[in-house]
Amino acid sequence: MATTARNNLSAKLVLLGDMGAGKSSLVLRFVKGQFLDFQESTIGAAFFSQTLAVNDATVKFEIWDTAGQERYHSLAPMYYRGAAAAIIVYDIASIDSFARAKKWVEELQKQGNPNMVTALAGNKADLEEKRKVTADEARVYAEENGLFFMETSAKTAANVNEIFYEIARRLPRAQPSQNPAGMVLVDRPAVGSQSSACCS
Amino acid sequence: MLQDDDDANSSSETDSIDQNPNPNPTTSIDQSLDAIEGQLTSISLHSIPPIPQIISALPSDSHSQLQQATVAQNLEYIDTLPSDSHSQVEQVVESPGEVDMERGVVDNSVSRGQGVLWRNNSDVDVDVEGQGSPSSSGYAGGKGTSSSSSGISGSGIEEISGDDEVDRVEVVNRSASFGASVDSEWLPGKRHVNEDDASVSWRKRKKHFFILSHSGKPIYSRYGDEHRLAGFSATLQAIISFVENGGDRVKLVRAGKHQVVFLVKGPIYLVCISCTEEPHESLSEQLELLYGQMILILTKSINRCFEKNAKFDMTPLLGGTDAVFSSLIHSFSWNPATFLHAYSCLPLAYATRQAAGAILQDVAESGVLFAILMCKHKVISLVGAQKASLHPDDMLLLANFVMSSESFRTSESFSPICLPRYNPMAFLYTYVYYLDADTYLMLLTANPDAFHRLKDWRIRIEMVLLKSNVLNEAQRSMVDGGMHVEDLPVNPSPLSGSLSSHLGQPRPPLDSTDGCKTLLGGPAGLWHFIYRSIYLDQYVSSEFSSPVNTPKQQKRLFRAYQKLYTSMHDRELGPHKTQFRRDNNYVLLCWVTQDFELYAAFDPLADKVCFLL
Ligand SMILES: Nc1nc2c(ncn2[C@@H]2O[C@H](COP(=O)(O)OP(=O)(O)O)[C@@H](O)[C@H]2O)c(=O)[nH]1
Ligand SMILES: [Mg+2]
Repeated sequence: MATTARNNLSAKLVLLGDMGAGKSSLVLRFVKGQFLDFQESTIGAAFFSQTLAVNDATVKFEIWDTAGQERYHSLAPMYYRGAAAAIIVYDIASIDSFARAKKWVEELQKQGNPNMVTALAGNKADLEEKRKVTADEARVYAEENGLFFMETSAKTAANVNEIFYEIARRLPRAQPSQNPAGMVLVDRPAVGSQSSACCS
Repeated sequence: MLQDDDDANSSSETDSIDQNPNPNPTTSIDQSLDAIEGQLTSISLHSIPPIPQIISALPSDSHSQLQQATVAQNLEYIDTLPSDSHSQVEQVVESPGEVDMERGVVDNSVSRGQGVLWRNNSDVDVDVEGQGSPSSSGYAGGKGTSSSSSGISGSGIEEISGDDEVDRVEVVNRSASFGASVDSEWLPGKRHVNEDDASVSWRKRKKHFFILSHSGKPIYSRYGDEHRLAGFSATLQAIISFVENGGDRVKLVRAGKHQVVFLVKGPIYLVCISCTEEPHESLSEQLELLYGQMILILTKSINRCFEKNAKFDMTPLLGGTDAVFSSLIHSFSWNPATFLHAYSCLPLAYATRQAAGAILQDVAESGVLFAILMCKHKVISLVGAQKASLHPDDMLLLANFVMSSESFRTSESFSPICLPRYNPMAFLYTYVYYLDADTYLMLLTANPDAFHRLKDWRIRIEMVLLKSNVLNEAQRSMVDGGMHVEDLPVNPSPLSGSLSSHLGQPRPPLDSTDGCKTLLGGPAGLWHFIYRSIYLDQYVSSEFSSPVNTPKQQKRLFRAYQKLYTSMHDRELGPHKTQFRRDNNYVLLCWVTQDFELYAAFDPLADKVCFLL
């Protein structure tokens, strides 16, 4: 959930998508301004934070870059639970990763926070010559499912900051009643996930 | 002044070295360190030629004499020569002249009826090729290479490379030509993905590890792409199930110089094919660790996937973890923790470790299951919540998992992991944070929502560590290394404490005026040692130093220790107390008591009279 203190908003954001789609690369581009040609695959989930100034307010993103491997699928809720925003990433050069992205959309629609701001990112837009998923196809899908869509490239930085700004802009501003003072996503009792395992 | 040494050690608390990462110890490894010194001293009394001036310099310390007596009584001479002598043809075994206890390390264990054993090549589908041209002395079981000249072992095994586990494995009949690539240091990720069982290079690897499912689906292969090894996996599966259907479990197959070791864990089969001459018991333990590593990533509940679907394909579940397995396998040839089942601590000054331990203790009391601060493979401090204890194997697997996954270095993370010895069925969550390039903090919890609290703890811990200079001290200790045999006192001064006073401090220059200057290494030709405290689950090993200073020699010594460990823990032969082995490379000594195990390597050129006691 997004929490506010005066004009400062703190928002949990989760990146979901197939392994190799470029989630870590997008985060690293956004947070550190860097890009690695050989980005190591993420284990579990990595946490980053980055603050953006949007109009008169600041938004502090608390970002979960998840691993995307299947083994963590049943554990994903622990990362998207309570998230104010999600970026679902696919690789425009991979049909499979687009199919996988749709699965994540379905899962968030079923399990996620209904007010979640969800973005669909068609990453690796620099690989035009290898494209398998057209922008139109993805845009239509996004509109049908209430997501906003952008093609990004972590490599060239195209649309990377933009997608985070757009999320920040769309976050619901004040939710005073929903979020008691200073609440950050801590200490919530586990909902039966203590003994959750990879493929239960 | 000897008595001053003793005083110095006990009087200045801040200068003494604390090897115990637990801040509330009942025994500390400091005491053990003092004991090692005493033991080493008493060993050197026996193992060096009795140089008169040393004897006369010996203070009449009743404790050390007591130890001498113990050594003398418990000594058993065990010849290094296995009855399987064809593999030892080039080995000159110097018999010191005492009673040899014939001990067929290899063959005896085979005939002890561990499941089904095929010792004849004709039982196994092994391509027997003529004797090739051995090219170098690789690491074959810590004994140097000896090309087998016996007819029965002519399985076409040749050492190809000196430095890596490359050899020719002919398990399936295929024609072969040369062209193996040679690997050097461990690099993250899988190597040789383009190989499969038809590749010559693949078959030349000296040590293969496979994980497959009971339906024969490949799960992991050290070399080559799992999917391309489907046929090979099916062959392994066929062997295992053939034997299992007969009510037996196949554990070991010998084919010439190759050992094929199997481990069945429910629906998961693990196989090692090796011609490294490591004891098969060691290979089995390595398979156990490999299985443990898999459980650490997935939990044992993967078994349920196979109940639902016997043909379940597990490879996607392990996506991105090749580096974890390959680094574990690499550690089987350098990290003593893999066979000692103990962990080692970074040498630090007492006050430094206290500072780290105290803050971790606070965290543990706040509901964290384990708080572990490590520098590479060495523990700086480890604290568990009440009654929770961390098995050294779990620690090894966890540290390997974290260190081999580059992604933990990028930012802080919170990942599900399972500690197989703690609870193989459930995930725990581990907060991982690198404080500097080598030092990392792991906070383990059962609560999946604890991230933010652990993050806050980490910030506090980091502040304390910076304030008390722990990180700098750790870096310095990494550079200085641990104990150096050269620093051991040449004059036997039992329990003088001077050994531990060298730790964590710059090493003094070598004293060349000692009585043993003809011998390299430490006193009495001591080259290296490992001391394991059974009670503490910890070990200390000396740094490698001349003449054990090339990677090749280190690996050979490693394998020799491994063999020694295995023979000392041989259930069939009962517990051994002491063992001497002598070969061309070293004189090895092992001494096991209820409290500790000591492994030491000496210069083989030390006068052999000394072994007669
Ligand atoms: N050409 C190109 N490659 C990318 C881009 N983003 C990521 N990659 C590469 O794709 C691979 C997988 O990226 P990674 O961020 O690890 O994906 P993740 O598994 O979703 O986190 C890496 O080798 C990246 O270098 C991009 O925008 N363009
Ligand atoms: Mg990633």
